[in-house]
Amino acid sequence: MRRALLAITGLAAGTTALVVLKGSPGTSPVAQELPVAPAPVVPAPAGPTPTGGEVSAAPSPTRTSASPRPGRTVTRAPSSGPSATTRAPSAPRTTRKPPPASTTRTVTGPVVENEYGNVQVQITLRGMRIVDVVALELPEETAQSDQRSEQVDGRYSGSSGLVVQRQSADVDTVSGATATSTSYKRSLQAAIDRAN
Amino acid sequence: MPPRRGPGGRRLLAALLAVGLLASVLPWWLDTPPGSLRTTAATLTAAGRITGLIAGYLLLVQVLMMSRLPVLERWAGGERIARWHRDVGATLLVAVLAHASLILVGYADLEDNPVLTEAGVLLRDHEDMVSAFAAAGILVLVGLTSVRAIRTALPYELWHALHLSSYAVLLLGFAHQFSNGAQLFRPGPVRTGWIAMYALVLAALLWGRVVAPLAFNLRHRLRVADVVAESPDTISIYLTGERLERLELLGGQFFRWRFLARGCWWQSHPFSVSAAANGRWLRLTVKVVGAHTADLRDLEPGTRVWAEGPSGTFTAAHRTRERALLIAGGSGITPIRAMLEELPPGAALIYRARTPADVLLHRELDWLAEARDTAIWYVVGSRHDPGPRQVMSPDGLRRLVPDVARRDVYLCGPPGLVEQSLRVLREAGVPRRQIHLATFEL
Repeated sequence: MRRALLAITGLAAGTTALVVLKGSPGTSPVAQELPVAPAPVVPAPAGPTPTGGEVSAAPSPTRTSASPRPGRTVTRAPSSGPSATTRAPSAPRTTRKPPPASTTRTVTGPVVENEYGNVQVQITLRGMRIVDVVALELPEETAQSDQRSEQVDGRYSGSSGLVVQRQSADVDTVSGATATSTSYKRSLQAAIDRAN
Repeated sequence: MPPRRGPGGRRLLAALLAVGLLASVLPWWLDTPPGSLRTTAATLTAAGRITGLIAGYLLLVQVLMMSRLPVLERWAGGERIARWHRDVGATLLVAVLAHASLILVGYADLEDNPVLTEAGVLLRDHEDMVSAFAAAGILVLVGLTSVRAIRTALPYELWHALHLSSYAVLLLGFAHQFSNGAQLFRPGPVRTGWIAMYALVLAALLWGRVVAPLAFNLRHRLRVADVVAESPDTISIYLTGERLERLELLGGQFFRWRFLARGCWWQSHPFSVSAAANGRWLRLTVKVVGAHTADLRDLEPGTRVWAEGPSGTFTAAHRTRERALLIAGGSGITPIRAMLEELPPGAALIYRARTPADVLLHRELDWLAEARDTAIWYVVGSRHDPGPRQVMSPDGLRRLVPDVARRDVYLCGPPGLVEQSLRVLREAGVPRRQIHLATFEL
């Protein structure tokens, strides 16, 4: 009986120790209040005036891997930075020249937060046409949100996904994954706005 | 003289189990980036996952310990494993409750739901959670009925049936780990390893509970030869069989016996063998205390017996010193009687009994005392009588056995006597590792 009590105490102490050890080193309350990254303030370039040029201004994590969602566990890596706010990609530097039709460029949308986690979308364009969509980050906190993310990712992303077919962020919401769909579409819309 | 069996195997086993515990939490540790537990919800969920992994592991350990795998019985012994099983069981119960409540509160916080609503969400929207909740419910029931006070109030059969439903916990709790477990739902080495652990435990269970007993019973084909009354409420059952000379039995070990007669076959009970292996017959001596033991009186010669064993580390081979002191109470004499034959000369036996009628196997004990130079003291009377009180004190023990602190002490008897003797022995300076208990009481 005494040993059982010891074991139970050990269980409690061990669990607490593990959680504390993995807890944030400097718990800054700001870190958790990551606001929805502001919609890009890039002024929509009027008509054809912008001159072409490389717009792939590589906003922070540019992953242009062939797989729809490159190493999902890896995408978490940037989030372990000291402050979550760093995740919001800097607004892409867009030049005002219309892109030559043949150039391929990637544009990253902002991190959009919902109650399950963060969503960030990156699009690849050839000329003005969206040819590929990659989710850089999707909620995977729980197995369930992971499954939802997978559904959303499967429907929207990829070079033959719904977004590429429709050429817009106006796609049907994945049923049962409303929050993730919505966040996805917001990040996507922002990326499209940036690209234009 | 059988070879000594040291504590090496037991320590190895304990070390292996501890390493397994660390390994089961390791995936969480590797998956969780440092500093990532920023919110209360994340912290609670993380604690829930750790306790979940631990609970999952401990459940497997519990089943493994009850697998009766011969190597476990040899390394640690049935009685010690039963004690571990009890302690781990209490820990498992707490771990499961902690896991369920931490995850529940953590998810509720994450999704901004009241806890009860979240419980509904878990049950409705998450796969395999209904069965997981059922598993937790059964485990709580099994755990509570194993609390000593409650357990002794229940009939053994009811308790046993409830305890058997633990296998349902294994089954019902299986799926949710893989459909919802953050460390387990992705295909990969962790998931594969976890499934492999299940497979190993099931294999151990199959081996220890089915294959090994089947082989044993097919080899020896035990049958009741005779039932003899030893005292008004005690019987000896003699068994014969085939190839008994090849039976690896140490004096003091026990089998779990199942007598294949009407009304008896569905129960299996542990009884010590009350004579050392002799190649011709086995004997168990049983005190009639309940319905089952009363039925044993009427066993017909020729009745088939299904035995599982031998188990136990309460043997001469497990002693750490050359000489031994044996303390028996009532029918607790049975394993000690068998062990006497395998101890070197110079052993001492204190036999406590309430009345002269409770002294069992009197004649053969006297005969063994002669033949093997063993001192035997019969201490008869209530524990409050002057005689027993004097013997069961540190000074009394030292007067009878001056070198008691340099002997191994074997204790077998009712819980009250065992407790009292333990205390007195420790006071008399006997190190704990020299004290051996044969107790089926959990």
